Amino acid sequence: MSRTRVQPDVVRMLTLVPWLIERPGASLEETAKAFATDVATVRAELEHLDFCGLPGLGGGALFDVTILGDHVTVRMADELRYPMRPTAPEILRLLLMATAAERVVGSEVPGLRSAITKLHAALGVAAGAVTVLDAEPDDVVLRLRAAIAEGRRVRFEYRGRDDRSPQQRTVEPWVLELHEGAWYLHGLDTGPGEARMFRLDRLASLERTDEPAESRPPAELPRPAYAPGEGDVEVELRLVSAAGWLLDAVQADEVVQEGEDGSLRVHLRTGSEEWLARLVLMTAGGAEVLRPDGLRERVRSLTQEALARSA
Amino acid sequence: MGMPAVERLVNLTIALLETRRPMTFEELRRRTGYYPQADPASARRMFERDKETLRSLGIPVETRQDFGMEDPGYLIDRRTYELRGVDLDAEEVAALALAVDLVGGSELGALPLAKVAARAPDPTPIDAPPTRVGLPVTDVDAFAPAIVERRVVRFSYRTADGRVGQRTVDPYGIVRRRRAWYLIGRDHDRDGLRGFRTDRMLDDLTVSDEAGTFDVPDGLDLGAVVSGPDVSPIDVLLDVGPEGIWALAARGAVDDGPAEGEHEVGVRRMTLAGVDPVRDRAWLLGIAPDAAVRSPDTLRAGVRDALRAVLDAHGGGAA
Repeated sequence: MSRTRVQPDVVRMLTLVPWLIERPGASLEETAKAFATDVATVRAELEHLDFCGLPGLGGGALFDVTILGDHVTVRMADELRYPMRPTAPEILRLLLMATAAERVVGSEVPGLRSAITKLHAALGVAAGAVTVLDAEPDDVVLRLRAAIAEGRRVRFEYRGRDDRSPQQRTVEPWVLELHEGAWYLHGLDTGPGEARMFRLDRLASLERTDEPAESRPPAELPRPAYAPGEGDVEVELRLVSAAGWLLDAVQADEVVQEGEDGSLRVHLRTGSEEWLARLVLMTAGGAEVLRPDGLRERVRSLTQEALARSA
Repeated sequence: MGMPAVERLVNLTIALLETRRPMTFEELRRRTGYYPQADPASARRMFERDKETLRSLGIPVETRQDFGMEDPGYLIDRRTYELRGVDLDAEEVAALALAVDLVGGSELGALPLAKVAARAPDPTPIDAPPTRVGLPVTDVDAFAPAIVERRVVRFSYRTADGRVGQRTVDPYGIVRRRRAWYLIGRDHDRDGLRGFRTDRMLDDLTVSDEAGTFDVPDGLDLGAVVSGPDVSPIDVLLDVGPEGIWALAARGAVDDGPAEGEHEVGVRRMTLAGVDPVRDRAWLLGIAPDAAVRSPDTLRAGVRDALRAVLDAHGGGAA
């Protein structure tokens, strides 16, 4: 019988024991699921655990691990009746995940608030020591969430990064995602009939339709991250330190400290000059486009347009 | 021959947990039968490697050398090793499992969750809202011992205007806001509550060996430290061209009808309530080609000055 190579993990083995003592007869499958691993790994680790226990002369006092059919029972393992305390990074990660989820879906998930309170107390971390301020779901998010729950198509005006004017879209909504502080909708754009991602702050006039949404999301949805494309232009900017926040909004290829005053020279690529030009406007003169000339000219003309409009 | 390393490491953990007093290496060797090498130096090296492996996994192997002991002894204190008293109920376990799933962290979150829920009832199934949250939680691993165990940290920090200085901080906690992490705590030199963007810290963080050297004040609002002072929101009137209407509508602006005066076709006068004149200024600049601020006057003048500064930075020219 061939066996896939598995990597037994000491900490997981130490955690499996108290977990299984509490759940006599648990199935291998549910155990693997709870530990986010596969059945072969759990089985291998249990086989090792059957040779574990208090070591000593004459074989010591070993655990009694029984796998009967698909079900596991661990006995004689009182030495490990309590789990290990999570490590500091594990504690911080778990509290961050719980706190972020609470902010986003707390109202719909009873128990999350009290679970967080109990974790703080049991793990000795001050209440409020972990705070996530990224976008709370607003009205648009809640309405989209309702449309997903009801299985309805939605219609909205959307302006993509490269569009100067918005376009009407009819979308079968699948999943909402909060990424880097911004909300996105994954769904089927019924126009081209393709999966698309929409940034919710570029969306207006949302309506729920009565048309049913029948498509299902694919197993893997992409993350909303900028991926360099073929038509991208290379851009060089000079930033004064007060405009340093611009670096948070782009993915820079290179940032070089230029002078004692903290000014920076930034290289990046973009697929949307219009979007980048507006970002430059937002710095109120703190960013200067050095190249390409086309983008520099675009910033000039947008600024002149804006000054003329407000005259 | 030899037993698999994982079995030896688990059993070493159990032996060190079960002993009442620190065990020397020789005692461990005698009692467990491990490290049987004829060469004492290589046996010792193997034990040292095991001990460091356990510590790196977060298993608190202590070294103690009491007065009168010739060799150091080793043990694991149950009170440090064990997690007790979490007492989650089925609904709370389900909520945490959902949180881990939502933040896409089953790889990172499953084991800590299994630890805190090991003695809890199995989760009651709940429906997952169709939502995902991206949060790079491992970004702040380096600060975890400082925050969780309350250890003082030191680091070099570059302020927004580019000056670099040394900071000594009692880290009270961590805040995530708009793609940035902030370490919040008491700055020793300024004796005040401060927030530090982790991406402005230089790569020289040190964490004190001493744990629990400060207390986190009760009822602290860490979020308020990074949000800055509250500015009263104002109502802004704008003349909005056809291409800007969507952006204003998306923010909940009210359409007051056609704009006064001579304009291109389709310009609307809109009112946007709840504008923060400081924090929303950049946003107003970004849409300025499509939407002109009409009032209040100070904001209109401020936006025009900022636009002229952009124009000057790009070679100037007629406005």
